[in-house]
Amino acid sequence: MKFAVSLARALVGAAILLSQQTVHAQAPKDAFVIGGVVPLSGAYALLGTSMQKGADLAVEQRGKVLGKPVKALWEDSETKPQTSVQKANKLLAGGVSVLFGDGASGQTLAIMPVADQRKVPLIVTTSAADQITGSARNKYTFRTSNLAFMETRMAAEYVKKVGLKSVYVVAVDQPVGRDTWATMKASLTAMGVKVAGEDFAAIGSQDYSVIIDKVAKSGADGLFIVTTGADTITLLKQAGQVKLGNKVKIFGTGFLDDDAAMAVGPDVVGVKTVARYHFSYDTPTNKAFVEAYRKKYDEWPNAYAGHAFDGINWFMDVVEKTGSWDSEKWVAAFEGSTHTNSLFGPRQMRACDHQALGVGLWAEAVKGTAPQPALMLKVTDTFPPAGLFPDCPK
Amino acid sequence: MSVVLIGLSIGMLLFLLAAGLTLVFGLLGVVNFAHGSLYMLGAYVAFQLVTWTGNFWLALVIAPIIVGLVGGILEYFTLRPLYGRDAAYQLLLTFGYILLIEEFIRMAWGVNFKSLNPPPGLAGTTEIFGSTVTDYRIFIIGFGTLLSIALFYVIERTRIGIVVRAASVNSAMVSCLGIDVGRVRTGVFVAGTMLAAISGVIAGPLLPLKLGMSFSIIIDCFMVVVIGGLGNIRGAILGAMLIGMTRAVGQQFAADWIFLLTYALLIVTLIFRPEGLFNVKVRQA
Repeated sequence: MKFAVSLARALVGAAILLSQQTVHAQAPKDAFVIGGVVPLSGAYALLGTSMQKGADLAVEQRGKVLGKPVKALWEDSETKPQTSVQKANKLLAGGVSVLFGDGASGQTLAIMPVADQRKVPLIVTTSAADQITGSARNKYTFRTSNLAFMETRMAAEYVKKVGLKSVYVVAVDQPVGRDTWATMKASLTAMGVKVAGEDFAAIGSQDYSVIIDKVAKSGADGLFIVTTGADTITLLKQAGQVKLGNKVKIFGTGFLDDDAAMAVGPDVVGVKTVARYHFSYDTPTNKAFVEAYRKKYDEWPNAYAGHAFDGINWFMDVVEKTGSWDSEKWVAAFEGSTHTNSLFGPRQMRACDHQALGVGLWAEAVKGTAPQPALMLKVTDTFPPAGLFPDCPK
Repeated sequence: MSVVLIGLSIGMLLFLLAAGLTLVFGLLGVVNFAHGSLYMLGAYVAFQLVTWTGNFWLALVIAPIIVGLVGGILEYFTLRPLYGRDAAYQLLLTFGYILLIEEFIRMAWGVNFKSLNPPPGLAGTTEIFGSTVTDYRIFIIGFGTLLSIALFYVIERTRIGIVVRAASVNSAMVSCLGIDVGRVRTGVFVAGTMLAAISGVIAGPLLPLKLGMSFSIIIDCFMVVVIGGLGNIRGAILGAMLIGMTRAVGQQFAADWIFLLTYALLIVTLIFRPEGLFNVKVRQA
């Protein structure tokens, strides 16, 4: 009985705290606070630190939102979904105006219900899983970056463009690898392209030599790769050492960036990929961003930094236009909004699923010229948004 | 045939790493959880040396010496006072080493990927039974074989080996014979860390250098040691080859089942030979 009374008191207390939280979110504050939950350690530490740099630059340039200073608070989600939830709750308990993050899709999917429950907007600028704006979407989550579906569409267009006849796939043995390949396989089959073989390797695989040998002997003229980070580098490095690129065209969906290209080494030249962002993309806003970023950090911005800068700026524009501290008004204004100052040219936020619509970039790994990185991506094709995105969910 | 060759190269790399771990455990009785971190440190130090000098071979010689020195300092100042205590103290200490080394690497080299390339003489390929195999992999097999023979010879056939083995079984008796046991232990720990660093340098041209690279490989390493029998070099060779071949054959026929196959190997070994395939017979004086 005593326990039941204590439990009831605790629940009532929690309910009061939560209701106060919602009221606080609508009242003017001393500062507009962005709560960043990003992986600053663990396998995706590079993603998180880059996202932090991009967002910090946006905050620094903006200075004030709704007449109050804007600042960002950062929590390390350690590349673990359960930590993401703990850290998101910690930031929300501190009364942040908006949540920003996370890195891996699994982490983002874990904090989405938290944002929804607390009625605080969540800005996603890195995670690409289709579910984020698909089956798991909610009212408060907005994605301003790519989703896996559009990247698969671009890869299929590349197969059509170069006329590949037979494709071998090497994908990470995770839902994203299998889902992406299922979508791609359907497109290839519809185009009459043969599937020469498929291998799903565990995340963190140390050796791909036997798989590479199988690809070389399969008669395929294309190798489609669905991996990320260290797996991409290990695979491309070992494929490059046996000159696999001379036998097949190697391509993938957003699996390669400048950092990874440098780590693979000269054999990466000629590999094709979706570029989620690139510092060389020619828009006036991007040029200004790259200049400011290099001045602040003395390095070239990567996709995670670029999208973080773009997404946070877009949301702050929206908040400023509402002239209100009511997060419900921010959400309503973000839906259907257009980001005219985007690094990628104008972009729209689709109201039906909160997925940003914009151009898709396709790139090739090339040798850079100083002061650019020695190996980098170069955007070779730009796909218009029409036809890249899935239909609005019913 | 190429599958066998690739399996051998995977196995040799695992052996190089596991040898240091099993040596330290077998002769000092310390389970060094930081062994993977020392492997990572070896790879990063080699990266720095190659960046400065452009010479991979120099890095293969110097990096293990530098990491060995680090190992010696750690053992002398922190591990030595704990030999007489419960094993839990040593475990906690080596966990501390992991955090220390990780943070040092983060501060010194950042979180971006780094890369090492095979030396110019080994950057080519060879056609074997219709498959293209890199010369560097053939080098790994040869280098691993030579090192395993040398290690086996030193431990089993030389006076140093006899002293080290005697100190591991009855350190008090060895001490009574006028041998400085503390120095022997430091020497063994340094040798273990040098082996970890050597495997880090050798793995560099095959894998990306990144923070956390130690975690993915240390699990394999412990599996090798458990399958082969804790503290047994011969066991480590067999365990490494079994896992290497399982990985290579698994990739050939069912890549998504590799981890299951490897763990199945571990479970079967633990059921039928819980002391490992080559258990150590301890004789007390």
